[in-house]
Amino acid sequence: MPKILSYAAVQNGQPTRASLEGLSRARELAQARGAGLAAVVLAPDAEAHAEVFGRYGAQTVYAVSDPVFKTHLNTPVLEALEAVIGRAEPEVVVFPSTEGVKDVLGALAVRTGGTVLPDVSEVEVRGDGAVEGLRPVMASKFLARVRAEGAPVLVSVRAGSYEATEAPTEATVEPVPFSFDQGSLRQTLREVATSAAGAVDLSDARVVVAAGRGVKDEAGKQLVEELAEVLGAAIGASRAVVESGMFPATAQIGQTGKVVSPDLYVGVGLSGAIQHVAGMVNSRVIVAINNNPDAPIFDVATYGIVGDLYQVLPPLIAALKEQNVAV
Amino acid sequence: MKFCVCIKQVPDVTAPIQIRDGALQMDAGRVVLNAYDASAVEAALVLTEAHGGEVEVVLIGPEKATETIRKALAMGAHRATHLVVDEGAALDSHAVSELLARHFEGADCDVILTGKQAQDTDAGLAGAMLAERLGRPYATNAVGLGLDGEAVVVTRQGDTGQETIALPTPCLVTCSNDMNDPRIPNLRGVMQAKKKPLDARPVAEAPAPRVQTLGYEPLPSREPGVRLDGEPAEQAADLVRRLADASVL
Ligand SMILES: Cc1cc2nc3c(=O)[nH]c(=O)nc-3n(C[C@H](O)[C@H](O)[C@H](O)COP(=O)(O)OP(=O)(O)OC[C@H]3O[C@@H](n4cnc5c(N)ncnc54)[C@H](O)[C@@H]3O)c2cc1C
Ligand SMILES: Nc1ncnc2c1ncn2[C@@H]1O[C@H](COP(=O)(O)O)[C@@H](O)[C@H]1O
Repeated sequence: MPKILSYAAVQNGQPTRASLEGLSRARELAQARGAGLAAVVLAPDAEAHAEVFGRYGAQTVYAVSDPVFKTHLNTPVLEALEAVIGRAEPEVVVFPSTEGVKDVLGALAVRTGGTVLPDVSEVEVRGDGAVEGLRPVMASKFLARVRAEGAPVLVSVRAGSYEATEAPTEATVEPVPFSFDQGSLRQTLREVATSAAGAVDLSDARVVVAAGRGVKDEAGKQLVEELAEVLGAAIGASRAVVESGMFPATAQIGQTGKVVSPDLYVGVGLSGAIQHVAGMVNSRVIVAINNNPDAPIFDVATYGIVGDLYQVLPPLIAALKEQNVAV
Repeated sequence: MKFCVCIKQVPDVTAPIQIRDGALQMDAGRVVLNAYDASAVEAALVLTEAHGGEVEVVLIGPEKATETIRKALAMGAHRATHLVVDEGAALDSHAVSELLARHFEGADCDVILTGKQAQDTDAGLAGAMLAERLGRPYATNAVGLGLDGEAVVVTRQGDTGQETIALPTPCLVTCSNDMNDPRIPNLRGVMQAKKKPLDARPVAEAPAPRVQTLGYEPLPSREPGVRLDGEPAEQAADLVRRLADASVL
């Protein structure tokens, strides 16, 4: 039986939302194709996650457990995925499009003799086994319809492209023996710096508040933080305020930064340059607060407020607090 | 240390672009040096200025892409190789990395730098593909690059933070534009660039791409938005009511 394999990234002991979205889409593809569905997870305690993947429909869970997966390093990830792909012989492997995945996809394609369709917003498997997808190009001004042949086809799916939906199955766990030779590792991880705001992956957040250059000082930053707090939002940023050092690079949304597609995105004092919009245009509801009525962010905003953020945010925070009390 | 930087000429995404019959229509003259590659060139220049060494740039592209090579030379790169392909040759990351691997096989190059992605296609694959073909250790999405004795030290932007990784040479690093602000060539640089060695070699046989582009489509359009008027307090109340109605609070 042909097989579709889905790679699940684990963060803070949980599979990420984007991983479950990918797994859900992989299940639909497998059903349409009459194929089996397997998941692969790399973690210090990979077996512990098997139950979750069964809940989303994985019939087999390839579990690769090793302490080395506590932090990301491309060599062990490549070796483990190569081993699992060799064992499962999938036609298609679905990945969430995270930085960790982007780090290995190209090399994995060369190792497995496969083909990559990176960062798609839609994916289908055709009758002949070819994989077709839509992917944003030209700073997300357009979609390109692309087609890849040559199994395995490695597809990475943008966060928010599909819903994560459960379809419980009894999953069989297949522990994959993995011994990693530290001596062969031609790279050394010297340090991992997790940004305070970054412990929750922005791509997984349901609500995002993003700040731009209009947020000029500590007082402005504090307003943004208060707004994020009342909304239960993750904080994002434009490149301008990452460059200035006001926000960590982990918060950057856009072509260089992350792709987010929350239910609610609030952009505060950012202009909406195409490279920023590339990372947030698929958000369900977009709110823009900017004092320039001609700022391009208003072209994609569901609700626009033309005004000075220092004047607009305090009453907005107050009104949201009241609303929180009321519900 | 010798740095080799792979650079791509890309269409300027800020220029007007239309779709006609599934194809992109734009001014063929509006092209730029891929922003991520410009950051890679800058990083190589900074390190060789501080520690000695040489910077070579390598570009696969049609004849007219020479202007992009000149730009990198004007920034300060010492020499260039131009692997010349036909105008309109369909090259994906797979084919590009294969051509680059042929070029680098046996070449003397301590550190290969690429951009983390091409600005037009955002594929982000050729770097790691090339490293794997050459059997080099690599790191992607570098926001910082330094030398520590014989080791290349990379700070990479990961999902929830930054990882600092030491690589031995020979190695490969893909660069983010968050790493630096590439210098703008000055007149002297532009003049010197004309005299720098540029080795142009026609590519006899380009590998077939694995990924075909079938056509282009516009993005699905969003519902037109609503501007909320009034004093800040009224705008706030109006917005909260609408967000509650849309069940996003
Ligand atoms: C290859 C490439 C990749 C890039 N990738 C990214 C990316 O991933 N993410 C990203 O964000 N950018 C990216 N950029 C940069 C992008 O082009 C813009 O430069 C950047 O997004 C601008 O940030 P900004 O909107 O905060 O600043 P600006 O464009 O300066 O906008 C600031 C806005 O704040 C408004 N404002 C000022 N004061 C106030 C106030 N008191 N109240 C309300 N509004 C106010 C102004 O009207 C203005 O619209 C990239 C660029 C390139 C070339
Ligand atoms: N035609 C090309 N010539 C030289 N280098 C290239 C070319 N295409 C891509 N690259 C390099 O590979 C990187 C990633 O490209 P891509 O995989 O297409 O996103 C780019 O940033 C360049 O450094």
